[in-house]
Amino acid sequence: MKRKTISKAVIIFITTVLILLLLFPFFVMVSTMLKSSKEVYSSPPYWIPKRLALSNFITVWTQYPFATYFFNSFIIAAGTTVLTTIFSVPAAYATSRFRFLGKKFLLYMFLVIQMFSPIVVVISLFKIISRLHLLDTYLGLILVNTVFTLAFTTWMLNGYFKTIPVDIEEAALIDGCSRLQTIRKIMIPIAAPGLVTTMIYSFIAAWNEFMFALTLVQSSKRMPLTLGLYNFVGRYTTQYEYLTSTAFLAIIPIIALFLLIEKELVAGIAGGAVKG
Amino acid sequence: MPGDRIPRRFFKNASCAIRNMQDTVVTRRKGYFWTTESRLAYLFILPATIFLLAFMIYPVLNVILMSFFKTNKLAQFMKFVGLRNYQELLRKKEFLEVILRSVYWTVLAVAMKTGFGMIIALLLNVKYTGRKIARTLIIIPWATSVPISALLWLWVYHPEFGLLNYTLKATGLLRNPPVWLGNPLSAFMATIWVDIWIGIPFMALVFLAGMQSIPEELYEAANADGVNAWQRFVYVTLPGIRNVLLIATLLSSLWTFNDFNVIYILTKGGPAQSTQILITYTYENTFAWLKWSYGAVMAVITLVILSIVSWIYAKIYFKEET
Repeated sequence: MKRKTISKAVIIFITTVLILLLLFPFFVMVSTMLKSSKEVYSSPPYWIPKRLALSNFITVWTQYPFATYFFNSFIIAAGTTVLTTIFSVPAAYATSRFRFLGKKFLLYMFLVIQMFSPIVVVISLFKIISRLHLLDTYLGLILVNTVFTLAFTTWMLNGYFKTIPVDIEEAALIDGCSRLQTIRKIMIPIAAPGLVTTMIYSFIAAWNEFMFALTLVQSSKRMPLTLGLYNFVGRYTTQYEYLTSTAFLAIIPIIALFLLIEKELVAGIAGGAVKG
Repeated sequence: MPGDRIPRRFFKNASCAIRNMQDTVVTRRKGYFWTTESRLAYLFILPATIFLLAFMIYPVLNVILMSFFKTNKLAQFMKFVGLRNYQELLRKKEFLEVILRSVYWTVLAVAMKTGFGMIIALLLNVKYTGRKIARTLIIIPWATSVPISALLWLWVYHPEFGLLNYTLKATGLLRNPPVWLGNPLSAFMATIWVDIWIGIPFMALVFLAGMQSIPEELYEAANADGVNAWQRFVYVTLPGIRNVLLIATLLSSLWTFNDFNVIYILTKGGPAQSTQILITYTYENTFAWLKWSYGAVMAVITLVILSIVSWIYAKIYFKEET
């Protein structure tokens, strides 16, 4: 029995060390965001700030356009989520409930498309978006982001809808509900947890997107946070205390959202191979 | 599920159900292409399909077409040249180096992710208090926005004010740490590490989910046979997570091969092209140097590679589901 306790202690010790190593950049982030500029740029550097510079968090909101970036990211992510949901719910319902010609092909396409690299289409999308005069607009980024969230979302929702027994719907149809009513009154409420998962997924994916923003947005008025922060590093002698404070504010809500859907995400991606 | 409890015969007498049955009979005879229900189905998939046709299928076809044309700086098609763009690129030494680097970037990173992921999964598969917290903390690198993580690492690697080099020196691990992003070799190591770091949590979680689905009796039987920990891993755990392992490494290869954000933000492919992989090279050719046809050729090559891998993934996925 004693050997077991020791081996458990060793396991906990190794796990702790690994976690500390994995979280290293976040420790650096917390250390830097609490320092004043003078302390950040002292050589040699040190970990613990001598005086907490909490004013960084006020400065990033007032003196730099980070508030705008936050707002832009929110609009783009929310827009992508709405558009994705509007397209994917009916498509997922059709693939999970109806038999029709080309269904298998469609499902196959969704599975393959979600693994496509944005680089394959970014060249043409740039041309399309500029021809539609949508460069530097929210709509341009929302459309492009939706391309990549749509396939995965439809695929996930298709799985959720399939787990709901057809009998429930049949009963409602007999009671005189129309198809659309059964979807609205039965399917969506039952599939709500799944629906929320896919909506959170779309939101996160759009919030984190970088390559399309880099390609399709030039004006700082329309930049999402990822691009705004990237340009912040490029343009001035970077003030990392502001970069880290903003990064902190940007990732906390995203990490929280991610933790909510992480289990379903793993199951959805790995498919039938994980039966947990 | 509540619906399971409703007996089938409940529906038999309802007129609606009978009509449905008649529908199916008619359907069988005519084929199911244009029944009322399938018309609804096509209506439902129409928006998504049109959207994907316009913003996915058309762009793919367009880029394939572009790879056979000479383009001007505005990306307009100038002249059909057949396979000339392909020939020109394949003759470039730099391009071949980029392809080669993409391959070992992917292989090395995926191997490391698999290794670390396996170790962490094994550690998390042991029951102890605080395991849930450990699991949550390990997810964080995956949960964070990749571009923001890359920017944080840029600061971590800072040669003068960065806390990495300071810590390495202070703890005596490295007396003379390099300017990480300044030299070809260290820059490659530094960027690939960030990619690995982002990918570890996914591997660990998927492996862990696989391990937890292995029945406890198998381990008990193995223990009764008096096997050691290594044998238990090789003969019980590994076969138990074989499919999970396959799918996770396949997906991870796709994502690793496609990693644009980490490299673009940390080094833009430099110094001296030492971190340039196919994806970043495509982007630079297209949007920095405006060589659209070359960009298109590389996009097509990427498309071919990805299609093969995702086809394999789809095969495994559908096999697992049924």
